[in-house]
Amino acid sequence: MNPTIATPLLSITGWGVLSSTAVGADDFAGTLGTGAEAVAVPDMFDRRLPDERAHVLVDFHPRDYLGRKGTSFIDRSTALAMVGCDLALSDTDLVVDDENRHRVGVVLGTTAGSIASTSDYSRETLTQDKPYLVNPVLFPNAVMNGAAGQCAIRFKLQGINATVAGGTLAGITALRYAGNALRKGYASALLTGAVEEFSPQTAWGLRALRRPGGHSAPVGEGAVVLVAEDPQTVRATGRQCDADVLAVELGFDPTNTTPTGVAAALARCVDRALRRAGLSRDEVWAVSTGQTGAEPDGGPERLAADMLFDPSVRRLRVADLVGDSQAASAAFQVAEVLAHHRTEPVLHGRVSVITAHTADGAVGAALVRGWHRGGRDHRV
Amino acid sequence: MTRRVVITGLGPVSSIGIGTVEFGAALRTGRTGISPITSFDASGFPHFMAGEVQGFEPTKFVQVLDPSQWGRTSLFAASAARLAVEHAGMDPDRLAASAAGSSIGTTSGESQVIEHLTEQSLAAGFTGLDPALVRQVPASRLAHAVNRELGLTGEATTISTACAASNYALGYAYDLISSGELDYMLAGGADSVIRWAHAGFYRLGALTAEACAPFSQGRSGILTGEGGAVLFLESLDSAVDRGAEILAEILGYGLNCDANHMVAPDSASIAECMRLAHRNAGITAADVDYICAHGTGTPANDSAEARAVVEVFEQPPPISSIKSMLGHTMGAASGFGAIASVLGMTQGFIPPTMNFTAADPDLPPIDPVANRARTAMLRIVQNNGFAFGGNNAIVIFGRAA
Repeated sequence: MNPTIATPLLSITGWGVLSSTAVGADDFAGTLGTGAEAVAVPDMFDRRLPDERAHVLVDFHPRDYLGRKGTSFIDRSTALAMVGCDLALSDTDLVVDDENRHRVGVVLGTTAGSIASTSDYSRETLTQDKPYLVNPVLFPNAVMNGAAGQCAIRFKLQGINATVAGGTLAGITALRYAGNALRKGYASALLTGAVEEFSPQTAWGLRALRRPGGHSAPVGEGAVVLVAEDPQTVRATGRQCDADVLAVELGFDPTNTTPTGVAAALARCVDRALRRAGLSRDEVWAVSTGQTGAEPDGGPERLAADMLFDPSVRRLRVADLVGDSQAASAAFQVAEVLAHHRTEPVLHGRVSVITAHTADGAVGAALVRGWHRGGRDHRV
Repeated sequence: MTRRVVITGLGPVSSIGIGTVEFGAALRTGRTGISPITSFDASGFPHFMAGEVQGFEPTKFVQVLDPSQWGRTSLFAASAARLAVEHAGMDPDRLAASAAGSSIGTTSGESQVIEHLTEQSLAAGFTGLDPALVRQVPASRLAHAVNRELGLTGEATTISTACAASNYALGYAYDLISSGELDYMLAGGADSVIRWAHAGFYRLGALTAEACAPFSQGRSGILTGEGGAVLFLESLDSAVDRGAEILAEILGYGLNCDANHMVAPDSASIAECMRLAHRNAGITAADVDYICAHGTGTPANDSAEARAVVEVFEQPPPISSIKSMLGHTMGAASGFGAIASVLGMTQGFIPPTMNFTAADPDLPPIDPVANRARTAMLRIVQNNGFAFGGNNAIVIFGRAA
């Protein structure tokens, strides 16, 4: 390893994915390059859907994964997040026990929580005989931090419990929030990720925003949870990690009038991240964008990637595999990079850039150096 | 690099006053901002009072945002941020050219927008959704609105950790300035009164009829409230360099999670959060002169909070709840608590707990500063924020040296 490299922001010691095609990190890694087809969703809900296919978990029953206890009243977002946390915890060698659970927490990214839960709750106030005839047990689901709070209860994690509303940037925002908390010593490990659920409300909302000329990937859903830990502690105890997040930078284009303006703000984030890590652009193996095809020309992320990186730098676009997964999209991008490292030993130590942006001009980039587990997999 | 972080501007947009002059005067006189709900048809509800910001006209405050393109909560955040910058005497052009950003807390984000979309889908089906409204749904837009309004190029982070969210946002902003990541931050929270939350709190049995009476005997719950509460943060050196009036210093904060129950508070965990905050701020419990309470007015919260206080403090300082005046402004609540804490330090008073009738014999002995503001020299203030999900966040403020 290059001795001049600054200490990473955080280390990832395990991760979990729940997607339309995969349960767990190894499973997800196995789907790389398969070009997953969206699945038929005709009767998933009692309400009509705008599209026939989506990248979703058609027969997702939380009890299949989580058992009966504590699952009766949780919503889809919460269930996906819980399974994501469970998978991440089974992929790491971090042991959570009574000694450390007050220093282990959750940081989850979202757009607006479970929009279906909120909207359905709102609907009850309009359609019931009396507007207050809502179910009080479902009330916490309608609040945006419901999923993170439920994950803390299920896994007894008493450390920092935060929900960051970053929309399509949420996976990167969550990493930055977690990195800060770890570096400041507020926590020793944080289950960090993002969740997005499929619902009639979100499907129709996305349909309403679809632009002419775009060929957006089908709507997606899922959860990605990374076990983020303080790098120095991980190293001091002789443990290995799947990746080091070297830097996470966020920015904003307050004018937000042109794709080139947003791309320039994003490029500044990428360069700042590289500078902090003491790396140059030509040391980058891959750049992963949040492109969904919704923007006919590829949008600001493609522009930024092309401004910064030679065509020989590998382009990754996880939407081809998991669809337009909104709040989970940037976290899925991280998972895709980690999946490459799990399956391809030649990539050991290579660096990737993950970019994301929102429609309002918020931008962000994460710099990730991945490692191959190889023969040192703690589970072997 | 570790820098001291100070507060040099306050931006309250509340039911008891907009701007520090009005807001401060209301806190001193114990004015309440509770009125019949107008933002939705509350006629079918047994309880119909809330702390709405009556006659809020965003165009009086925002100079850049087009109010037709942003939800009410985003406009609260941006208006409050604009006020905070003006109060700080910060040149807007210089701010926009600096390493500056925002962190805004919220419980429900733009849930008013989701309610409108829900109405649209009921009236005309899902094909009837207005794309302009759909664009306003993401809660991330609260911080985005602040950055757009002020032309900021640093990060714009919305933290949606429910009713403790402003303290999360203040703590995060404090860290970013302390470590030198950014030089200026607009931090606080915003929320709007919404029908579904009004219904939910009513069905939880947590909504009172007309007067929120924290810590009082016979208290029966919250009133929902709304507004925007944003503070302007910078490093001590920066404030000194530009000759700004330093209102207070952020000494540190603590966060933890009950991991026990979604809505029932846990006094042992709250006590632990207080100890964490004291430790991170480099103080001891005995240093705290005043606690700005979470104080929702529900029997459960106030009991858990008071028990935690007597567990941590040998001699508890005065503890009052401004929710008795504002109602529960949700994600903005600890932002308003922060502004009240700072005003208490700069103007030498403790805001009262209004509507207090008698001490609750089931609570441990505390001093709720009943019904009248009190003159006091405050050096260190503790601002409590607790939330659904067992999310506790406490920020410690110190008087400007």
